[in-house]
Amino acid sequence: MIESPARTARRGGPWDRSDMEPRVREILDRKLILRERGPYVAKTNEQVSGMLQRVFASQGFVNVRIFDIERMAGGASKEQFAFTVRHGGCPDGERLVLRMDPIESIAQTCRGREGQMQTAMQGVVPVAPVTYIDADGEVLGQPGLITRFVNGVTKPTDVDAAGVSGIGSRFDAWAGKLAPQFVEYLSRIHHFDWQSKPLTYFKVPAPGTTQAAIWQVNWWSRVWWDDIVEPVPIITLCERWLRENAPVCEAPVVVHGDFRIGNFMFEEPSGRYTAVLDWELCHFGDFHEDIAWAMQKLWGARSEDGEFLVCGLLPRDEFTAQYQARSGNRIDPVKLRYYEVLNAYKCAVMDLGAAMQAGIRGNNHQDLVLTWLGSAGAVFLDQIVELIGGAGYAAQH
Amino acid sequence: MLPSIDLRIQNLVKALVEVVLPALPPTERLARDQAALVVGHLRMIAEQWKFALRFESQSLDHLLDLAGNLAAADVPMGAELRRRLAASVAKFRSTDRADGNAIETAIIDIGADIDQVIQGDGTESRIPAELMRLVLQYGAIQARRERTWFQGNMLDPGRAGLPSIAEMLAEGAAKT
Repeated sequence: MIESPARTARRGGPWDRSDMEPRVREILDRKLILRERGPYVAKTNEQVSGMLQRVFASQGFVNVRIFDIERMAGGASKEQFAFTVRHGGCPDGERLVLRMDPIESIAQTCRGREGQMQTAMQGVVPVAPVTYIDADGEVLGQPGLITRFVNGVTKPTDVDAAGVSGIGSRFDAWAGKLAPQFVEYLSRIHHFDWQSKPLTYFKVPAPGTTQAAIWQVNWWSRVWWDDIVEPVPIITLCERWLRENAPVCEAPVVVHGDFRIGNFMFEEPSGRYTAVLDWELCHFGDFHEDIAWAMQKLWGARSEDGEFLVCGLLPRDEFTAQYQARSGNRIDPVKLRYYEVLNAYKCAVMDLGAAMQAGIRGNNHQDLVLTWLGSAGAVFLDQIVELIGGAGYAAQH
Repeated sequence: MLPSIDLRIQNLVKALVEVVLPALPPTERLARDQAALVVGHLRMIAEQWKFALRFESQSLDHLLDLAGNLAAADVPMGAELRRRLAASVAKFRSTDRADGNAIETAIIDIGADIDQVIQGDGTESRIPAELMRLVLQYGAIQARRERTWFQGNMLDPGRAGLPSIAEMLAEGAAKT
């Protein structure tokens, strides 16, 4: 990596980024401290076994046996292991999943937030029940959570065309079974009554203000300026545009934050959803954010006749129509466009900033995956140009 | 004949695909995933390595064009920043194009000045129209170049409409 005086200069511009959720700020502050402790090396099964022994001992269980530890596929962001535990309180054994943070990843998030929201969502949408949360890594040695193992697949075993993190999957005949559930569960998340739930790691942006949008802009622009490797003028322009055009959110809702292909599991052959996955980016905000996220080009696929399918499932117009019918929420095209820009910005920051910085420092268990995802960063830059400049802008230049 | 870079990459891919991957048990998921990604990266590197310096050099040219256009345009910025931007353009035009590190340093330094122009000083209420036009114009060209450079990752849903790397560099050379 080239050293340059400009690289170390503070280049965040004239904006105050202090207005963000306190826990998000803590996680971003912690990342800057932890990153100096790298590089990170993928955990061995023996190490994982030792960590799990500590967890179950801390809960007072005796005669703990951990076995059948198996690293799970995927996990571009977090390190994941399936394992079976048997102890005095569970003599028959139970299959569980450990999900934990490497030092740095493409998205630095909080296991406490993820675990709390996943727990709150039980009975609302299918989720893997959370059995243990170590938000700050006090017992595991690094932040993590444990859930029950849920059966299912994230892509049909009889359909081809899937890349890293489920990107590029197409569901073909499965779409008829999966798309209605996709819309239904997104609607349920947005109508979730969170008021009485113990969500202590979260704060809710002020209704009737632009805070929902600005918190997101401050979060991800902070990531960009913490992680910048090389300047990208479109990313800087986009930050300014997002600040100038932030819309009012009248009534913040739970936003999943990563509701897309690859983040839901279903059974074969029924197609019944068994779990909505990956709640790490969950926050309170504008429902348009989830709609816009699901619509991103990179998660989509083309049908045999070339039509773009949202998450490989259904055409864009059908998706919005079904969502509005199911949820009763009216989609505002101006807000939708804003959140399409914001999401493309987030993804560009993750790919060209966070992933690259983690990869350069060797601070992830899958540096190679991060570099691979980073190579898709320009897809989001192109999207930003199209969205801000107007349809067809990029093609004209 | 000395073993060329192309030949060595070809040998690496063959060894991984035909020897290493089949030897890895299905339970070793991380090892299998990583080996498959190494193959993918090597295939992309095979497409890119001969063009790498030209690609970076043209990226610098495009950035210098943007900086020069901004310095000359009716875009609000302090006199000192405008002077520095113009001076940087003059200085980095003569960057040694055979030196990859020098090109990267130039991109970082001129990019930092451009960022400062885009950010403004916080006193304007909206992005000036000419600033918006120039940065979007640059962004459209550069995003397409970068998508072309990495089309081998097969992640880009619009990759069918992209030129080859050689075609893209020829287009760039014709414009400069």
